[in-house]
Amino acid sequence: MATLPVSPEKIIHHFGPHLNFAPQEGYVGRDEPDATVKTHCCFCGMQCGIQLLVKNNKVVGFEPWMEFPFNEGRLCPKGVQRYLQNNHPDRLLEPLERVEGEGFKPIAWDNALDRVTSEIKRIQDTYGKNAFALLSGVSLTNEKSYLMGKFARVAVKTANLDYNGRLCMVSAGAGNKKAFGLDRSSNNYADLEHAEVIIVTGANVSETFPTLTHWLWRARDNGAKLIVIDPRVIPLARTADIHLPVKPGTDSALYGAMLKYLVDHDMLDHDFINHHTTGFEDTIAAVKDYTLEWAETVTGVDKEKIRQAAELWGKAKTSFLLHARGIEHHSKGVENVLGCINLVLATGRIGRPYCGYGTITGQGNGQGGREHGHKCDQLPGNRDITNPDHRKYIADVWGIPEAELPGKGLTAWELIEAIHRGEVKGLLSICFNPLISLPNNNYVREALEKLEFYVCIDFFLSETARHADIVLAGSLHEEEEGTVTTAEGRVVRIRKAVNPPGSARTDTSIILDLAARLGEADKFSYPNSEAIFNELRIASKGGTADYYGITYKKIEDNMGVFWPCPSEDHPGTPRLWEDRKFATPDGKAHFNPVAFREPSEVTDSGYPVVLTTGRVVSQYLSGTQTRRIGKLVGIVPEPLLEIHPELAQRYGIRQRETVRVTTRRGTGDFAANIVETIRKDTVFIPYHWPGRKSANQLTIGTLDPVSKIPEFKVCACRLEPLGVFTQPGETIAFDSI
Amino acid sequence: MNFSLNKKAAVISIIVTLACVVVSFYGSRKLQNFDPALIAYLFGTLFALFGLVYRYCVWLQRPPTRMYFKRTWQLVFTRSFLVRAFTMLKDSIRNLLFQQFIYPRGRKRWMAHFMLAAGCLAAFAITIPLTLGWINFTLDPATALEPGMTKLYNANFFGFKVMSFELGSVPAFLIFHALTWCSWLVIAGAVIFLVRRLTNAGLIASQTFEGDLLPLILLIIISLTGLGLNFSYAFMKGIAYDFMSVTHAIAVILFLVWIPFGKFFHIIQRPAQIGAHIYKQEGKKKGMAVCPHTGKEFTTRLHVDDLKIVTKEVGFDFTLEDGTSHLDYSPEGKRSLLAKAHLKARQEGGTFFG
Amino acid sequence: MEVTAYRTNMEFFVDMQRCIGCRACEMACAECETNGQESMIHVNYVERAVTIQTTVQVCMHCDDPVCAQVCPADAITKDEFAVVHSANTARCIGCSNCVMACPFGVPIKEEKYDMMMKCNMCYDRTSAGKKPMCATVCPSQALFYGTREEISRMRPNSTPVNTFIFGKQEVTTKVNIMMPKGSTHLKIH
Repeated sequence: MATLPVSPEKIIHHFGPHLNFAPQEGYVGRDEPDATVKTHCCFCGMQCGIQLLVKNNKVVGFEPWMEFPFNEGRLCPKGVQRYLQNNHPDRLLEPLERVEGEGFKPIAWDNALDRVTSEIKRIQDTYGKNAFALLSGVSLTNEKSYLMGKFARVAVKTANLDYNGRLCMVSAGAGNKKAFGLDRSSNNYADLEHAEVIIVTGANVSETFPTLTHWLWRARDNGAKLIVIDPRVIPLARTADIHLPVKPGTDSALYGAMLKYLVDHDMLDHDFINHHTTGFEDTIAAVKDYTLEWAETVTGVDKEKIRQAAELWGKAKTSFLLHARGIEHHSKGVENVLGCINLVLATGRIGRPYCGYGTITGQGNGQGGREHGHKCDQLPGNRDITNPDHRKYIADVWGIPEAELPGKGLTAWELIEAIHRGEVKGLLSICFNPLISLPNNNYVREALEKLEFYVCIDFFLSETARHADIVLAGSLHEEEEGTVTTAEGRVVRIRKAVNPPGSARTDTSIILDLAARLGEADKFSYPNSEAIFNELRIASKGGTADYYGITYKKIEDNMGVFWPCPSEDHPGTPRLWEDRKFATPDGKAHFNPVAFREPSEVTDSGYPVVLTTGRVVSQYLSGTQTRRIGKLVGIVPEPLLEIHPELAQRYGIRQRETVRVTTRRGTGDFAANIVETIRKDTVFIPYHWPGRKSANQLTIGTLDPVSKIPEFKVCACRLEPLGVFTQPGETIAFDSI
Repeated sequence: MNFSLNKKAAVISIIVTLACVVVSFYGSRKLQNFDPALIAYLFGTLFALFGLVYRYCVWLQRPPTRMYFKRTWQLVFTRSFLVRAFTMLKDSIRNLLFQQFIYPRGRKRWMAHFMLAAGCLAAFAITIPLTLGWINFTLDPATALEPGMTKLYNANFFGFKVMSFELGSVPAFLIFHALTWCSWLVIAGAVIFLVRRLTNAGLIASQTFEGDLLPLILLIIISLTGLGLNFSYAFMKGIAYDFMSVTHAIAVILFLVWIPFGKFFHIIQRPAQIGAHIYKQEGKKKGMAVCPHTGKEFTTRLHVDDLKIVTKEVGFDFTLEDGTSHLDYSPEGKRSLLAKAHLKARQEGGTFFG
Repeated sequence: MEVTAYRTNMEFFVDMQRCIGCRACEMACAECETNGQESMIHVNYVERAVTIQTTVQVCMHCDDPVCAQVCPADAITKDEFAVVHSANTARCIGCSNCVMACPFGVPIKEEKYDMMMKCNMCYDRTSAGKKPMCATVCPSQALFYGTREEISRMRPNSTPVNTFIFGKQEVTTKVNIMMPKGSTHLKIH
């Protein structure tokens, strides 16, 4: 029974989201804090260094951390306001139990945990081990990510564990593994500094990774040309040298045409291609018909602009290519990524200073979290759960027979489908708010309602947690020691600043307690987070993501260490592939042929407009944290429908008029923001909000066949102006239900 | 600050001070009711009056102040004077007497200021007329000589009896100790402010000793020594009375002399806030200015037009080539214009970076 | 303002074309202890219907501050470091003369306090030798606080300019705006 126990209004009344503001003159004690804790922001893959000011076990403010090399004190608005997630009135202080008709009532920890373990046992005894699934998330530290992987396989003994990285950068991961045999940004961002040409594609850097802007601007101060590929004139694109406003879902056509241009004009690094790559011939054969004219008709980008971009890219001596969710959230996300990598490999500009490539990971620990095994097909060290050697190694580390190690499970979206089919009956989730972050979320809600038992570990009662039978009050980022790996591949230390308030517990202690109650206490006895990390080091040893040489002390001494770091005397690897030895079985980088194909849903007369989604600068992912921070909500109080004036005129839509957006999956109402900074055939909605303001009611659940990422970034919709006008933020409290 | 003598202000302040001397001379019945013990205070008060009027006149001559002063009275006296006078009275009670505008900045802040202001203003109202001999208290002659009769005290204003009360009665207690009550209010308010000023990092950074701390310290000294005088007289048989009376006198005179130049001048300035309110209300009725950039109303047309005059008077000319003015733009419009001009310059320069 | 570690070799450099409109500065400004939780910096879209361009505006700290000149209450002062301070709370009468006269659109009338507030270059931080909060957090270096040597090394093709022309009026300021190399002034109209 995972339906809501009472009306959503009642739940919101008790558990929020309520807006937290600092007192008029700041929190008391900010001037004389008990401690100034050097840690990192929790809100994206940049993992900016920040110092939290602590007074009486509360985070009362922040002070920039000027010495941390990536950001040198710089922060985005989320980082500045991050301290307000602490001290929050909505914070869960004790475990809760769903009581039909009454809501969520406090329950003793023992009772809560016993209930969880007995339900796990009941469901598994009745329906089989894999009928109980786990969903995890990559805002968790490396330690917790590792622990979740081990907990699922060793304690719960289920194959069905996946994570919200599935909605993040799995396409990039899969693409990188195919091409390089290893999944990490090839360079740290300091290599941007003297890159001659930089391509940023599908990455709204200034809103989603604001602090990376510094490095891009620095490169431009040194003369770099910037090419931005995005359907909208994002802030980065306004001053870019070339902006290619690509039609959503046609990225790979653009890259294909650029590759063909490079080949036709012999702007290739033949030496590199011949000696260090495979698959080039097949790859160029796949794009042989992709003329600039063809690309213009497919992508909607002026062919002259494509030519200029290809020319710039082809002639550069140094370069950097960055991409993010904009090209990865597609049913052909992996192909898009490979299209980018092909452009990099063709010019041989990798593994050298200022020659770089990488995906910009979105979540706080999007990099580290995707390496250590809370992914359905993966084991720690980015090992493959279907590879017998890998299985054996990890089974030994964990002290279990290899045969007992479950195999590959279902991915996040497939789990939702499996719940619908009745194959999965119970669910434990942590750090995941699928009701907002998964596509077609009405379908997700129906799935949650079909569960026999759902337990959620969270610090706020997220929209998804409202469907839980038991809610375990877990810990915030600043309440536990650990490490995360930044988008650059730099492993950094997360510091505990305060203890969990009330009777809330650390996530780790909850998981360890559950493991013990499931009878596996001996395999889950860690005195502290460092002990988990030390086991992770061994588990990752010899894997592609090798952390063996990284210790807490080494991270602290060096303000971060780049993996791979195979031994304790190894300095870490800020730049990959300098030795031209790729991590593929043959040691070479692989070209992969990418033929263009249409997105899974294209426009037609019934749904004539392209819908794409994304983020705003003041919100983080599903907004569980950031929709509770007053000033961040104030910046963008509600999602707006960005629409070009010509398209708006066609439907008679006026500025700020409420527009009903309908797709084959759902309907949402959004106020229109009529701007010339978007393609004429495309509308954009940011996705951070729930309920009727949720963009993901509309998006489509089609998966990439390889990475299983859903196609968030393109679907077809129709628009209908409602003649209603609202003030900014006026409707949100009601509509968020 | 301009130290050259402002003749107009000097003439006015001399006249006002002399007038005060004359009024006091006759008000004290040719010095008959004047208390010679207060002679130092008298000169302090007269000097303060001279300084205040001088400073006030200089202040009013500043173009922006003059404009507001002129406009306020113009607006007050044009039409429906009574309605406006009522509005002003209401506004004055709310914001001058109760200083309501401080409340949103913090309840404690308001409390402190209210106590401080109430104490100071009440003390002024009592001590200044006493010093000038406008008020005096006499034992009712009818009861004075009658041994068995309850003694009646008369309070006289300009020598005219305005009320009488029994010695030892509650009103007598309240009236004779009025300054004590004021002192406690002032001390409470000043201490709250002082603590704030010594602990709030933002204030510590931006305050000055003479501008912000000294006034509070002075007020506390005045109040404490004032209380001490009373205490010494009542309970300590006059021990340290002289010391305290001298300290008190010095502090008070310093305070008086300093009013025109220091922080306390704001007491005299504050009523201008009421003028600003009227200016805004009446300006609205005359119409709003619309920013040519944002297309939105941003202030009154009267305000924009007056500012064009005032800025010219103080040496700025924001007139544009087409005869319009930079001041026609709203703050947001001005910022956007700057950004657009900068964008254009950058575009013409060929690069945004480097 | 007695004891101060204000570093006179540090200057403020603004380049609004680098602004990405993220509002980190706006959030950070409210963390400055001199202005409570109010933000004194301005970030606004220039003309959202046609462009994503945003602009960021701190107080330029004019050599001859118009705001102070038009203040009827003598509430605005400039100190020995040429920092133009926010209104003296005791004096300000909330008339908004400064708000409407400032050629850069900087002062803010806080209606709830019936008082003007403005950027004082994070005086609590700068007077202690630190950088202003906005320039510290700005992720795009639209706001930069440092020495002239630093800025000329980082941006050799730009020149800091502190002369602004508004029609017939020329205004010079303490804060600089980065312009194409060789520029001497920025003409707004």
